[in-house]
Amino acid sequence: MKKLLLILNLGFLLYACKEKLPVIEDLERAKFKLVDQYNNEVTFPEFVKGKLVVMNYIFTNCPDICPLSTNNMRLIQERIKKDKINGVEFVSISFDPLQDSPQVLRKFAGIRNLDLSNWTFLTGEKPVIDSFMRKMGIVAVIGDSTVFKDGRKIYYYTHTDRIQLIDKEGKIRKNYKGSTIDVSEIVADVKSLQ
Amino acid sequence: MDNVKCIINMKDDTKMKKVFLWLTAILLLPINLFSQPTTNHQSLITIRDAWIRPAAANANSAFFFEVVNNGSAADTLLSANGDLSEIVEIHETYKRESDMMGMREVHNVPIPAKSTVKFKPGALHVMLIGLTKDVRPGEQYDLILQFKNAGTKKVKAVVRDMPRMK
Repeated sequence: MKKLLLILNLGFLLYACKEKLPVIEDLERAKFKLVDQYNNEVTFPEFVKGKLVVMNYIFTNCPDICPLSTNNMRLIQERIKKDKINGVEFVSISFDPLQDSPQVLRKFAGIRNLDLSNWTFLTGEKPVIDSFMRKMGIVAVIGDSTVFKDGRKIYYYTHTDRIQLIDKEGKIRKNYKGSTIDVSEIVADVKSLQ
Repeated sequence: MDNVKCIINMKDDTKMKKVFLWLTAILLLPINLFSQPTTNHQSLITIRDAWIRPAAANANSAFFFEVVNNGSAADTLLSANGDLSEIVEIHETYKRESDMMGMREVHNVPIPAKSTVKFKPGALHVMLIGLTKDVRPGEQYDLILQFKNAGTKKVKAVVRDMPRMK
């Protein structure tokens, strides 16, 4: 009888977790050819298959929101490491591929001393990136711009401020506000999907 | 004749008054100079907790600080300058619908009397556009803030990683 109750309880817990983190988007059949910060070709989500993925969306000319979101990714990574949780990958992808080459992304990570042992920065061809963003529910539109004395122009995006949690089967399970995410909340969600 | 004397006396009296007024004005001039609004305001605007976010050369960074106005009169931040980047602009981050965030230039920032205005992540900040060099944690740089009344304020800012946002 005790065993039966235990099984029922476990079943209820699993059900509760599923309810808490419903599937937002299934990426299982998706195949995006992208490039990492070392200029290696990778296919998403294949290259992170079987791992939980914490993902954010950036453009490196962003002076405020994207660095905040990236800093929060770092804090989540540190907490995951501290709590000895294995099998979690971190991915940052640029929605400004014309500016954000692998080299620019590498420099962006390097100047912040980010731990890239389980953290990949991605960019790619513009049509692929645009298609990727649509699939992931990210909106990024060019807003303000600045013109340098020599005529060069840089632009700033108005964009979705997001960190996402993707499960081991490649399903988006939860969206968080990237710049103000509660680190404890996402770490608890990661544990519930382990 | 009495009337004429009276007019002459009145003229003398007016002259005396004029001389007295001029003397008073000359005597009070130094006091007036020392109480010019600019000088007064300069001592009442202070900048604290100035820092810069790390970023690579050619990229953008942001400069954050707090403006404390202990004076009884309002002031306005007009601009920021420095040789750390090609362009320096005052910007603010703003929220749009559905977790969309944007950024726009702000041409001046009012600093009300007896107040503290915070330039912080996710809000008002000074954009350092097109950095002339890598900006690494621990380094220090001078930047200049230009106020309408308080004039020029030179600020030393330290490069540091971001505090955690709540």
